[in-house]
Formats: sequence, structure tokens, C-alpha cells
Amino acid sequence: MSYIIFDDERVELNEGQTVLSALLDRGHKIPNSCRAGICQTCLMQATEGDVPETAQAGLKDTLKSQGYFLACCCEPQTPLHIVASQAEHLRCSADVIEHKQVSDDILRLRLKPQEAFDYRSGQYITAWKDNTQGRNYSLASVAELDEHLELHIRRIPDGVVSNWLHDEITTGDTLQIQTAMGHCFYMPDLPEQDILLAGTGTGLAPLLGIARDALRQGHSGNIHLVHGARHVDDLYMHQALIDMASQYKQFHYYANVLQADDVQAPVSTIPIDQQLINISVDLADCKIYLCGDADIVNGLKRKLFLAGASISNIYCDPFVSAAND
Amino acid sequence: MSSLYERIGGQPAVDKAVEVFYRKVLGDERINDFFDGVDMEQQINKQKGFLTMVFGGPNEYTGKDMREGHKHLVERGLNDSHVDAVIEQLGATLQELGVSPEDIQEVADIANSVRNDVLNR
Repeated sequence: MSYIIFDDERVELNEGQTVLSALLDRGHKIPNSCRAGICQTCLMQATEGDVPETAQAGLKDTLKSQGYFLACCCEPQTPLHIVASQAEHLRCSADVIEHKQVSDDILRLRLKPQEAFDYRSGQYITAWKDNTQGRNYSLASVAELDEHLELHIRRIPDGVVSNWLHDEITTGDTLQIQTAMGHCFYMPDLPEQDILLAGTGTGLAPLLGIARDALRQGHSGNIHLVHGARHVDDLYMHQALIDMASQYKQFHYYANVLQADDVQAPVSTIPIDQQLINISVDLADCKIYLCGDADIVNGLKRKLFLAGASISNIYCDPFVSAAND
Repeated sequence: MSSLYERIGGQPAVDKAVEVFYRKVLGDERINDFFDGVDMEQQINKQKGFLTMVFGGPNEYTGKDMREGHKHLVERGLNDSHVDAVIEQLGATLQELGVSPEDIQEVADIANSVRNDVLNR
């Protein structure tokens, strides 16, 4: 017989009892539906202990590596410390060490957290304007390479937080940020596999982080990064990406703009979905990361799936604007 | 005598079949409009549940769930012809995975047994 520690409460498990059933018996309201390991509604996170393999069947590898599991299929043999997946996340202070306009509407913000801050490149953090208004921004930095956190912030018309970050925050100010979240990050398990990275606008931030993290870890398969933008002027990391491509032979950069005259490689006006299909990779055996505008991300996901990519290998971070931002 | 679910290959067969099946359904002009705007990962998980059921495996699918889950689609015009198309794609998927014609027929029979629930009648 084993037990779990749920937040701070010790809950005993009967022989053959699942974590979900034990928590429900104790009166906890745990979201759940199929109770057969299929719907993934009862997703929880273990912070300590061994999660049985059967409780992670079907989960994305990035979720598995963070201790996520399905409570309805989890019969732990040894004590397990768990939190609900929506458990609260701690805030910390971070100093603004760089505040730089990198295109008409994009700000590059570099922050130095005042305490240890764990993250994986490509995850997102929340930047808080005050106690109630926070927005998520993805991390372009790499913890092992950079002392700072790097965020790319597009100015949203009437956006409460983005305009505040653009206009009122400056170097030397202190911000409140919150724990890194999300499952869009590099996994070093298959270093020879090809990787496709595609995004629009500031969807480039997480993709850049993932690419740099993969290269740092010695990824040897091809890494294709496609950045979609409206105009050439919106390719705000153009030169840096061209430099990366000349430094690393396995890194390939494509810039796809909606309108332009007389463009030359790596810039083209090929639509981003067509660009992805044109790249020579085995879609059935490559990892794909899609970030940026939600409609574009979802459209690309469907298109790539129909072209043979496996859903379990597609990692998406669709940017959704807040109702008032 | 092994069960239908065992003959098809159990849970690993469901995992293998689900993407093939979903790709066929999304590529089928007769029915793919019904899948516009749905979350693909949720849909894959639902279809795993569906495949487990029609393969005769362990499941908690109920007629009520079937009715509730398809009610909004019936309002959008879901009818017998669409159910036929889904069962056809299911058969094509299983054929591709090497399942015998007799077992495919058995799967189709189970799928047909929930037709009235799906169509809310």
C-alpha cells in the first residue's frame, strides 16, 4: 500500500487504487472524464517520486519529462508528491537590463531575475503589470548560454500590458514575472532527427530559443527555421539568423513575407505553408514546432498532419490575445 | 478463441490506427467540414476512445455521451450518409493495417450499432 502527498495533504491509497479515485474519495474536485487514460482531462504533475510508466502512456515527451501523468491510470508503488496541473505558480522580481526596439512594433526585452529561475527555451513566462494584469511571453534565451531572459514583445493596439512594456518600462526598472510554463521546448533524445520550426511575428522568439538550445546540445539533424512576416522590415532577427545559418551547417533559415519586390534567398514570397511542404524532410519522422498567430498555427498543424506528420511530434504554441489586450 | 480486440492488436493497434484514420477523415470532402475548428489533440483522444470501442475493447462510452457529443453536428446536418463515410474510412484504415475482412465487418457492425445514438434518434 502506498500513499501520495497532494499539495500538503497525505492521502493513503488502497491496493489497486488509482490516484484519481483516492483523491475523489477524499472529496477533492479533480477534473476527469473517461477514466481510461484517453481523454487526458485528469492531467496532474508529480514533483517527487516515481511515476509508473502506464500513467504517462500517450503523453507528449516534453510533458513526461516534467513529471506530468494521468491520475486515472496511476497506481504508484512508492510515495508520490503531486500537484494539480493548474497549481499556483510563484512570482519573482526581475530587473530590466535591456529595452530595445527591434522593429516598428517589436520590443526586445532582456531581464535578469533576482533569484534562481528555471526554464526551458521556448517556454513562456507571465509578465505582470500589476496584481491582476499579466500577459504571457515566450523565452528566446537559453539558460545555459545567457544570463538574462529574452522576450520579444509585439505592440498590440490598445494592449494594456504590451503598450506599458513598450512605453513606460525602461532599463533599470523591475518587473514581476512568473514561472515558465508550456511544452514547446527541445528534447535531446533524438539528436539526429530533423526539426522544423515555423512561426509568424514574435512566434520567432520561442523558435529561436529552441534552435539555439538544440545547437548548444549538439543536435546533428537538420534544423529548418521558417519565419513568416508581412514585410521585409518585420524580419527583426534577419541578420542574426543568417549568421547562425553560416555558423552551423545543420541550421537553415527561410524568411517568408507576404509582400515584397525583388527578394532574394533566404527571403521569398512563398506562402509559409507551402514553404514547409517544400522543405525536404521526412514529415513522418521529424519534430515540428509551430508558434505565433493561433489561426496560422492551427492551419499549419492540420496541413502538416495531412501531409504525413504525426500529431504526437507537433508542438504548438498558439498566441492568443487576451480579451482586453 | 481470442476476442476481436485481441485479434486486431489491442491498445497498440488503436494508437497505430488513430492517426491513419483521422488523416483519412480529414481528407474526406464528404465529412471534413464537421471537423473544422476542433482541437486536433482532443479529437485524436476522442477517436482513440471511439476506436477502442469499435474494436471491442474496454471502454466507458455510453449512448448518452454519443448523443450529447454529436447533437450539435446533427443540428448542422449530420446524417446517415456521413456515418456511412466514417465507417467506410474506418474499413479502409483497418484494411491498410492488415486486418482481415471478417474482423473489419465485425468492427463495422459495432460502429453501426451506435448509429442511432450518434444521429440522435
